[in-house]
Amino acid sequence: MKPRILLVEDEALVAMMMEDVLEDLGWEVAASFADVRPTLEWLEKCDTLDGAVLDINLGAEMVFPVAEALRKRGTPFTFLTGYTAPPKAVEFETPVLTKPVDVDELERVLERFRQAA
Amino acid sequence: MAAQPALADIPAASSTLALNTLVDTIERLSSARTVADIAAVVRTGARALTGADGVAVVLRDEDRCHYVDEDAVGPLWKGLKFPMTACISGWAMLNRETAVIPDIYKDARIPHDAYRPTFVKSLVMTPVGGDQPVAAIGAYWAAERTPTNEEIDSLKAIARATATAFENVRLVNSLTETINQRDFLIRELDHRVKNMLASIQSIATQSLRSSESQEAFVEVFAARLQALSHAHELLTKRSWKHADLKELSAAALAPFSDSKTGRIRIDGPQIGLRPETAVALLLGIHELGTNAAKYGALSQDGGTVDLSWNVDMGAEPRILTLDWRETGGPAVEAPKAKHMGCKMIERGLPYALGGTAKLDFAPEGVTFSLKTPLSERVALT
Repeated sequence: MKPRILLVEDEALVAMMMEDVLEDLGWEVAASFADVRPTLEWLEKCDTLDGAVLDINLGAEMVFPVAEALRKRGTPFTFLTGYTAPPKAVEFETPVLTKPVDVDELERVLERFRQAA
Repeated sequence: MAAQPALADIPAASSTLALNTLVDTIERLSSARTVADIAAVVRTGARALTGADGVAVVLRDEDRCHYVDEDAVGPLWKGLKFPMTACISGWAMLNRETAVIPDIYKDARIPHDAYRPTFVKSLVMTPVGGDQPVAAIGAYWAAERTPTNEEIDSLKAIARATATAFENVRLVNSLTETINQRDFLIRELDHRVKNMLASIQSIATQSLRSSESQEAFVEVFAARLQALSHAHELLTKRSWKHADLKELSAAALAPFSDSKTGRIRIDGPQIGLRPETAVALLLGIHELGTNAAKYGALSQDGGTVDLSWNVDMGAEPRILTLDWRETGGPAVEAPKAKHMGCKMIERGLPYALGGTAKLDFAPEGVTFSLKTPLSERVALT
């Protein structure tokens, strides 16, 4: 069974590409969202999740409530951003990938998620 | 009036002290970076130099005098504001003239009631700033006396240095704001460039997956890059605040509407889309147009495309319905493989705008319908 990953990304183009990339790297994209609220609602009902990729800036809001929820349930995740990482992101002590994404780097980060499971 | 000692007649020791005090005050004024700093330097410097019993620093606040700071043997008016026409500091600023008053209760320009609770019996009030005084410095004495020329000249010298200090503060603030704005713009530019690169990366990788040959890739990739560039153009037009749905749709379909009029109809109320949403919308409509031009209504004479949208104002939140309808084209066949174009339409558009969408290869003509609540991403303008 493929490991399951959550994607939170507000740009449709980037989201579609990330889905392809994640599938190529052997993951099943369990869900992808552009906003915090539907993500949190989905997380509450989600049983298994092996990792997540979170875009930091979601237009009008930041992704941190999702990061908090993932930290609570012990699901590893990486941030993705077009800006330099804000101080709040650094507090989570997780990887931070920059856009446009380097697929090799993403692969290394996801490999660590697999091993941590 | 009795003859006043000239500066040259004053014993050497005290004129050296006066000079040192003046130089020291001017030096400290030159390094002041805020109005509060200036006031603090002036109140003590002016008092030391004039030997007055009190000094007040007054700022012009539109049509009022604001007594911002003081250094005196007794309380004056610190923190209070008076109408400019009702106080001597206002008179000095409005008339651009120094007022020298040996007995305040004999002068009609003084609001006597405001002075009665204070120690003041005589004063000198000099404006700061030659053309358009923005402040005034007052030196006050507890006895009726005629202020000396030396005292008046000292105060005027400090006033000139103070005017320069105010101008410096204004320039430094203005420069700081300009630098902040520039840094903000640089960060914004960096962000947009990174976003654009990420968009291009996405278009390239997806086009590559679904292209059967290098030529096919180049053609489709080039067309999508053009569409992306049009989206950015429309966003730049409104400083990247939002883009208009009608303009985006027209730009997306421009490559497919040659001189044959009436083949593409676009209609609906004014809707504004956030930048990321705008890019996705333009690319999605562009894909619909590409398909119509290759296989559908725009591939032959007599075919028509109708793109229209409306907002249900009664619903809460309000719902946007967008419809694409092709008519008069050849018989439709569903594509065998889902390629990037369809993905952009069926997945990309609802992802970006929100809501749900359906792409239907009905035999009479392709239709696409999207329904989404209005939001910060898609709004009536």
